[in-house]
Amino acid sequence: MQCGTALILGLKTILQVCSVALLELDNLNIAVASKDKLLPVVHDCSLSLAEHETLGIVGESGCGKSLTALAIMGLLEGSQVKITSGSIVFDGQNLLEMKPSRRRLIMGDRMAMIFQEPMTSLNPVYRIGDQIIEVIRQHRRISNQGAKQRALELLELVKIPQPEDRINSFPHQLSGGQRQRVMIAIAMACDPALLIADEPTTALDVTVQKEVLDLMLDLQQRTGTSIILISHDLGVIAETCNEVAVMYRGRIIEKARTRQLFSHMAHPYTRGLLASIPSVVTDTDWLEAIPGRVPTIDEQLSGCAFHPRCAHTKTSCSQTEPPLIEVQEHHAVRCHFAGEI
Amino acid sequence: MLGYTVKRLLTLIPTLLIASILIFLFIHLIPGDPAAILLGDSATPEDIAALSAQMGFDKPLWQQYLLWIKNVLHGDFGNSVFFKTPVLDVIADGAETSIFLALMTMFWIVLFGIPIGILSASFHGGWIDQITSGGAMLFASIPTFWLGLYLILIFSVGLGWFPSSGFPSISDDGGLTNLRYLILPSLTLAAPNAALIVRLVRASMLDVSREDHVRTARSKGLHPARVSIKHVFRNALIAVAAAFGFTFAALVSEAVVTETVFSLPGIGRLVVQSILRRDYPVIQGVILFIVLLYLVINLLVDLAYARLDPRVSLQ
Amino acid sequence: MTVRATIYSIFRGRKLATFGALWLCVIAIAAIGAQFIAPFDPLEIDPIARLTEPGLPYLFGTDHFGRDTFSRAVYGARMALIIGFGSVIVALVCGGLIGLLSAYFSTLGHFLMRIIDVLMAFPALLLALVLMTLLERSVLNTVIVIGIVYATTTARIFFGMTLKLKNEVFIDAARCSGASHSSILFKHILPNLWSPLLVQASFIFAFAQLQAAALDFLGLGLPPEVASWGNMLAEEKIYITRAPWLLMFPGALIILSVFSMNLVGDAMRDSIDPRFKNDIAGV
Repeated sequence: MQCGTALILGLKTILQVCSVALLELDNLNIAVASKDKLLPVVHDCSLSLAEHETLGIVGESGCGKSLTALAIMGLLEGSQVKITSGSIVFDGQNLLEMKPSRRRLIMGDRMAMIFQEPMTSLNPVYRIGDQIIEVIRQHRRISNQGAKQRALELLELVKIPQPEDRINSFPHQLSGGQRQRVMIAIAMACDPALLIADEPTTALDVTVQKEVLDLMLDLQQRTGTSIILISHDLGVIAETCNEVAVMYRGRIIEKARTRQLFSHMAHPYTRGLLASIPSVVTDTDWLEAIPGRVPTIDEQLSGCAFHPRCAHTKTSCSQTEPPLIEVQEHHAVRCHFAGEI
Repeated sequence: MLGYTVKRLLTLIPTLLIASILIFLFIHLIPGDPAAILLGDSATPEDIAALSAQMGFDKPLWQQYLLWIKNVLHGDFGNSVFFKTPVLDVIADGAETSIFLALMTMFWIVLFGIPIGILSASFHGGWIDQITSGGAMLFASIPTFWLGLYLILIFSVGLGWFPSSGFPSISDDGGLTNLRYLILPSLTLAAPNAALIVRLVRASMLDVSREDHVRTARSKGLHPARVSIKHVFRNALIAVAAAFGFTFAALVSEAVVTETVFSLPGIGRLVVQSILRRDYPVIQGVILFIVLLYLVINLLVDLAYARLDPRVSLQ
Repeated sequence: MTVRATIYSIFRGRKLATFGALWLCVIAIAAIGAQFIAPFDPLEIDPIARLTEPGLPYLFGTDHFGRDTFSRAVYGARMALIIGFGSVIVALVCGGLIGLLSAYFSTLGHFLMRIIDVLMAFPALLLALVLMTLLERSVLNTVIVIGIVYATTTARIFFGMTLKLKNEVFIDAARCSGASHSSILFKHILPNLWSPLLVQASFIFAFAQLQAAALDFLGLGLPPEVASWGNMLAEEKIYITRAPWLLMFPGALIILSVFSMNLVGDAMRDSIDPRFKNDIAGV
């Protein structure tokens, strides 16, 4: 009997430790329909995110990180960008096989997104309160009064001063930071299991950036939501994420737990990315830059996507594309010489 | 709001002043002695001189203008040469027809233009869009009078559903049923203008649908139709309202032709007939009246605009 | 970009606009070779063959004077091109210059634009009607009047576009390097406005046809003896019940030509600098 209880307890712990992932991307391929052909922009993207975790996706602009986020959210529909293969499993359901009407039940409810441009992401003609109420009433059976009450709570939660007044403001009457807080309130309105934040602080003043990031982490502590944070800023990622995926030209080239990544960067691109961040601690006159430029998507490249810019290029780099291999537990790198350099 | 309205009304004064000078100059640039033209070929030199003195044609141009403006400000637009009655009365006689025609036309424009425009934008690129936006462009390419003539041929002469011409006042026998006289004219007038509204609604909705806040709305899990109407169309309406003032000028142009085709006793036909009759006091009066109307409508559009777009403050 | 590549990029995948361009070519051929294409003299009266139905030898039938409608329609194409090109030239030269100069020299601009704004309060047809009463009915006068009417909108559009360009860095750069006013205006600003100008021209061309037809219909346009599509409609309107085809052919020709020009203008508008796209008021 005791033995049985111990076994059950043990099983529970095991289940908790390797709990089923909230979100699983498996070999996701995305392409842009251009003229008569499809230009691939995201290649074989595989990611997983457990509950309560924060995953950072980092990369230069145009590397496919935003498209991946829009694909997860289901916002690519009706655009030139198509998902060509792969799967996105959320809560055990493959989102790509779902009917649009069922998918909309998840959007804004179990899964929500905040965007890069707080200045333009709110509808200019509606009061912010109504924009929050809209998403609540879309997913909850609740009276207008109840929804308004909830909107007030949310505004308070995202630390908007005087929510009773602000609820009747139009977006243009708020500052950029406040608008992003309102966006967060809209996203958090239905307690989503997953929050996707696409460069949420890039357009904000540096001082406000920190406040908004802290707010997101604070809300995560309270509600236990999982976050995908997309940024081009390794510093922001290092501060906020448990796990990091680095993307370059539509490929994940390195992914690891944050601590692992920063203690041992295996891919030359990741190192270059870190080296190009100015440091205030060490006094340097010289800021490292990665030589060359990001090739445009329609340039055909064989072999490793990074080889034209890499300082360690060898002949094999331009011939075969390296696979994503685990160099350590939880640390995968897409480089032929990951162990050596 | 009130302060803004008053301020805007004051800015109308210089505009009206320039307009009145232009109208006055147009008329007085006409070659030949106006008194001779008015009296016709059989007039004697004495008659012409007498009329010139009576109408003030012998005075310098600027004195004539000041006299005209002084009278206009007193509500006296002069007398019609043809009707021998005050110009204001002549205009008032045409007003009823023109107002009802305008209202019915607006009704058709809103009824057809806006829903078809929304439909066209919502199915952007598909066959519905191609048919509706192509069709709208075709309708905008039809001469108004040609459409009117064939509507008369089919629906009045052929099928006998509607009367082909004229408009008895609604205070006459028949009352509001007399409005059936205006169905074909208002449809004729509405066709090209509704087509413009279709194109305008479509273009503005496509512009708005590329904005970031529409993506936010979609991310809330709203039904596409709701996104289309509540978010995209509502914002597109701002641009549509802004263009509405200009549509009025086009509407007046086409009303002139339509009223002539259907022999409606409105202000539009009055203009054409007065021009053909060289009835200058009426031409001056009607054109000044239309310009004033245009300015007032644009003022109203501005006020409506501020209500549609909270970013605009009327200060 | 070469001319061929530009044309290809405008009409690629646009079947309707391509059809429009082809139709305009047909009209141009008819206009140029009217005396070879028209089987009869457009003014020749044949009292025996009045109001003949379409068939042979009168393809489109004859009017109430017994004139061949087909031949008149072919010569009408010539008149349509004259009206179109003439009004475009008048409108663009007058309106373009006023707009350009007003935006560049702001004191002058303030005054000129005020006048333009007032003129825009006059409905286009009304302005044309009043101007026509000042002048004789002739082809040249009709062209000038329609051109002047559209010069107002053109001036407004050019005013807006020049203002946008005036604040660009490359204009500052030209000014800093000591370029004269005329060199900035005509060497730096104007070349950037050629393509929006072409789009505006195509819409004016289309509107001018409708405007000319309306003037003809009201009896204040081209002289009655001129074979134009508008005059054909105006003269035969009372015969519509007896000979409905008489108004069908010239009407269809006007509609098709205006429609085609609008389609071409619309296709061109999509290929110009997006900053200027919303400045141009077409269909």
